[in-house]
Amino acid sequence: MRNMVISLLAVVFGLLAGALLMVVTGHNPMEGYKYLFEGGLKNPERIGNTLATGTPLIFTGLAVAFAFRTGLFNIGAAGQMLFGGFCATAVGLNLDAARPILLLAMAIAGFAGGALWAFIPGLLKAKFNVHEVVSTIMMNWIAYWTIYYAVPAYLKGEYLETESRALPPAASLREAFLSEWFGGSYVNLGLFLAVIVVIIIAFIINKTTVGYELKAVGFNRYAAEYAGIAVNRSIILSMVISGGLAGLGGVAQYAGNASNIQIGSLPSQGFDGIAVALLGANSPVGVLLAAIFFGLLYSGRGFMNAMTDIPPEIADSIIAIIIYFAATSILMERFARWFMKRRLSARLDADGRKGE
Amino acid sequence: MDYVVEMLNIRKEFPGVVANDDITLRLKKGEIHALLGENGAGKSTLMSILFGMYQADRGTIKVHGKETRISNPNVAGKLGIGMVHQHFKLVANFTVTENIMLGNEIRKGLVLDIKTAARRITELSKRYGLNVDPHAKIEDISVGMQQRVEILKMLYRNAEVLIFDEPTAVLTPQEIEELGKIMKSLIAEGKSIILITHKLKEIKAVADRCTVIRRGKTIGTVEVATTSEQTMAEMMVGRNVSFQVSKKPSSLGEVVLKLENVSVKNSKKVLGLKQFSLEVRAGEIVGIAGVEGNGQTELVEGITGLRKIEEGAIYMEGRNVAGLSIRDRIRSGIGHIPEDRQRRGLVLDYTLEENMVLEIYKRPPFSKGGILNKRSIRQYTNGILQSFDVRSGQGALSITRSLSGGNQQKAIIGREIELNPTLLIAVQPTRGLDVGSIEYIHKRLIEHRDKGKAVLLISLELDEILGVSDRIAVLNNGELVGVVNAADTSENEIGLMMAGLERGEGE
Amino acid sequence: MRKSWFTLAVLIMTVTLIVGCGSNNGNNAGTNTGSNTNANTNAGANEGANEGSAEAPIFKVGMVTDAGTIDDKSFNQGTWEGVVQATEEFGIEHKYLKPAGTTEADYMKEIGNLYDAGFKLIIAPGFKFETAIFQAQDKYPDAKFVILDGAPHAGDFAPVVKENTVSIFFAEHESGFLAGVATALQLKEGEAGFIGGMEIPAVQKFNWGFQQGLKYANENLSTNITIKPENVIYQGSFDNVAAGSQLAAQMYDSGVDVVFAAAGGVGVGAITEAKNRATKGENVWIVGVDVDQYADGVYDGEKSIILTSAMKKIDQAAYDMVKAEKDGAFPGGETLTLDSKNNGVGIPEENPNLSAETVAAVGEIFTKIQSGEIAVAAVQGDLIK
Repeated sequence: MRNMVISLLAVVFGLLAGALLMVVTGHNPMEGYKYLFEGGLKNPERIGNTLATGTPLIFTGLAVAFAFRTGLFNIGAAGQMLFGGFCATAVGLNLDAARPILLLAMAIAGFAGGALWAFIPGLLKAKFNVHEVVSTIMMNWIAYWTIYYAVPAYLKGEYLETESRALPPAASLREAFLSEWFGGSYVNLGLFLAVIVVIIIAFIINKTTVGYELKAVGFNRYAAEYAGIAVNRSIILSMVISGGLAGLGGVAQYAGNASNIQIGSLPSQGFDGIAVALLGANSPVGVLLAAIFFGLLYSGRGFMNAMTDIPPEIADSIIAIIIYFAATSILMERFARWFMKRRLSARLDADGRKGE
Repeated sequence: MDYVVEMLNIRKEFPGVVANDDITLRLKKGEIHALLGENGAGKSTLMSILFGMYQADRGTIKVHGKETRISNPNVAGKLGIGMVHQHFKLVANFTVTENIMLGNEIRKGLVLDIKTAARRITELSKRYGLNVDPHAKIEDISVGMQQRVEILKMLYRNAEVLIFDEPTAVLTPQEIEELGKIMKSLIAEGKSIILITHKLKEIKAVADRCTVIRRGKTIGTVEVATTSEQTMAEMMVGRNVSFQVSKKPSSLGEVVLKLENVSVKNSKKVLGLKQFSLEVRAGEIVGIAGVEGNGQTELVEGITGLRKIEEGAIYMEGRNVAGLSIRDRIRSGIGHIPEDRQRRGLVLDYTLEENMVLEIYKRPPFSKGGILNKRSIRQYTNGILQSFDVRSGQGALSITRSLSGGNQQKAIIGREIELNPTLLIAVQPTRGLDVGSIEYIHKRLIEHRDKGKAVLLISLELDEILGVSDRIAVLNNGELVGVVNAADTSENEIGLMMAGLERGEGE
Repeated sequence: MRKSWFTLAVLIMTVTLIVGCGSNNGNNAGTNTGSNTNANTNAGANEGANEGSAEAPIFKVGMVTDAGTIDDKSFNQGTWEGVVQATEEFGIEHKYLKPAGTTEADYMKEIGNLYDAGFKLIIAPGFKFETAIFQAQDKYPDAKFVILDGAPHAGDFAPVVKENTVSIFFAEHESGFLAGVATALQLKEGEAGFIGGMEIPAVQKFNWGFQQGLKYANENLSTNITIKPENVIYQGSFDNVAAGSQLAAQMYDSGVDVVFAAAGGVGVGAITEAKNRATKGENVWIVGVDVDQYADGVYDGEKSIILTSAMKKIDQAAYDMVKAEKDGAFPGGETLTLDSKNNGVGIPEENPNLSAETVAAVGEIFTKIQSGEIAVAAVQGDLIK
């Protein structure tokens, strides 16, 4: 409950600061926000696109949040997502099977790919106490260059050096009936997978002994060790699950929102996942909502730009400000507390003087 | 008689807590004035106000009869108020002189004038009988000596009023006695002392007057010479307390724990416990006595598996458990009340019920097929909370962080005793608890022994060791000095052993 | 806590307000033929657009950027400059949108945003838009599309250029060839290098053309410029500035005198490195790409390390298309190739670092390419990479 208030505060402050920015640059914030929200919600297609844009963010946000709950800071969701997406694409392009089996195989491959990419930092942390922030960032670049080499070498399209072949329709998460419902938008089965995964992760975190162990390690690894929990194993397991989730994000992105994998870029969703996790207060449901909110901002932003004179850079700044407030929610909490304390002591001072 | 320091009607409130509520303390010139109270009674807050770290919400402070406002510790220093902190604030690889000069350097041009400073320190040291070598490095001298350096630091700054914050916690009985003498010589030279403590015996030994506070309120100021320990304890706790631990003679059973030449490294990677051997039998309490940092942590963590042992064997009921995981050792019947309850003993962000199954969440009925059974966990927790009188805002669902330290400790002890371990290792089980809780916990430890289980008690409080244990093993510098029967030893003997002298050597 | 509740209330009010506005507007806006949406957007447009637009054509020009920023000194910027030049000349509203990513979905979203806001001529710079434009040309039949450096297709690379779309290609190899000849003529002898961005056709053709140009000059114009295989490198991205500096430094250290950088932001890094060296007195050069990069290479006030630039006149292409639409002559359905013949490629008109003789000689070569006397191959053949 308190977390929710803080997250909402972050959003409000972010929007207010964005409004200030718009005013300072000579734009009308009410108009700007009107189009921003319209752009994400105006019609079924736009709602669908909002959901589709949010889908990979649900996975990466969940990945970061899950690691966070267990005391790990997984900065490498981008690389895990990329590699997971690559594995899924490789399966999708090369496996000839019935669609349900193919999609399932792709999801497993994506999870496994992301998991592998996070397993290595997990192992390094457990065995050699290498900080995961450093190693996951490095793994991002290893993924970047691995994909850079592997896609042209093994999955190259006929003409394009920078993209893999397009996935066949059977290997795509797009579903005709969904696109129709949402007026031709990009929303796809990835969204359903995301919701299922949110439920599963919430269940694991809250109801199982595994979740209990992982959280204990996250909160206080010394107490966990004292209680006989295998701390190192938990760290690795937590990273593997976290990476796997990011890998599924790769499946949703490259086989759902896109139809192939591109080289030369780390998916920005990996980094946005950190903001989503923070805004979602690291709870699975919170992440789901935060991801959709980010999806709304990202997909409404273009419409705001198109309808007003607010340049795209300002829209990006607004999103960045909201992220900033979400990320510093702890600061805000402190600020609120400090403020209340000041008021309290001011009142006491006044009382004290009266007493003399 | 004029007062050096008067703190009148002091009130200090923190969000949600009134730490000091109308406290009055008057310090006469040349007296040792004890400030007595349980943990959390408001002693530290009061002294922090005097030292300028907090500002009182209400009330006045007078120094030499003049009303003053102490806005920060520098002001306190100028007024001649100095504090000997519980945790020394010394730079380990500086010499005594360098440490004392730090922040108050004498310069000769651009260079430090160490010679002059050292001369002055030697002088002060002689005058007060401190016997400190001004050129020794801090890391090479004993804890007792370091404390004297802290005292010298205050004298060097011409402090007239010295506050000692729990000064005896880190000392051996002999060092405590020495400290008493030093304090006496300080007042003989005209200084005044405030002694913060919760140990009645020390007050009785050195203090002239004693102000007792309870829950932020002054209960009263008494003349120590004419007041019994019993009375002061009652003033502190607010009810009748008994100091005597009553127990039946032990009825010994099989050997439960057998340590054979166990060596364990400390966190600096050198052996902290050396070739240690000991047996603990069912139905007895074995106390480990020793000054802090003499191998107790290594011993406990070696047995429980938190630290790997370098050599030797650990037998639980005849089985060597030295190679087993922590979980397997718990399963073999080891219960452990850890020294640092917040770091080791509890996941503070977990609810109480989650903490109560920390070691056993995997056993039925608490989980089945990997899924937690919240209902049976709740039941189990409520049982512990009730029988150990753990008080919390929302019962089993309270976030553990929100509990007071004493209740946290009771929860841990409840959890470990409820496990019904064959061997219970209790490290400082009563640290920070009030007299009433201490009494209760001692009773439970003895009950556990009487059920035919073994108890290994590690404590820095000699009274506790002497009162509760059946046998006492003394540790010094990681080595076993000797094992004595509690019934036929004395505090003096144990104290000498703690200093490393074998039995009989000191006499 | 009370404060939190207060803020919460404010938030709820704000959201209600915004959503309220949104849904009102949604009700007003019908479909788009002769519609409220148009009226609506025009109303919005009039606030910002210049007054002269009253009699001007009512269409608006939009652009979606590719990866990178609008001031990338390359494709986005070139296209945008053309758009701005034309629209300001004709008093037409213009706007660019920056997609969140580089997938077809990202591009389609921005195209949809432009379309919904009444931008009916949409220009897409780069081959990455191929599949998006393929879909857009069907989805928005009353809008017109221009794709530079690519042709719409369904993902199978079979070009389908609908009646409302124009696809424009450039003969980069010819541009590279001319820059190669100019480089050889100006330096007479030395060592050349090539830094590419990604290994994609447009960049490859620059490289191959450049090598052919050097070779032609060595064989026919008695110059001696060599290029070693290890000095032909594709960095792999268009945005890694640091890597560009590093690669350039490496080449200059190994004795290279001039680097042809066809690499977007990577090229910017190379230019920076060259400037640093030139300031210290080293004699190093860069051949720019896409646009005239002379100004980017300026150091010490008036000198520039940009020897010349292998241009493709993206701005010209964008300008032409806007003009054609204004004149009612939009060449819908066509695939255009801009090359020497139609002045779509070449080196800048002003080349302060080239001698008059060099410029004249290159001018002759240019005519020969136009006439077909010199044929520049658009394939690798036996060239390096």
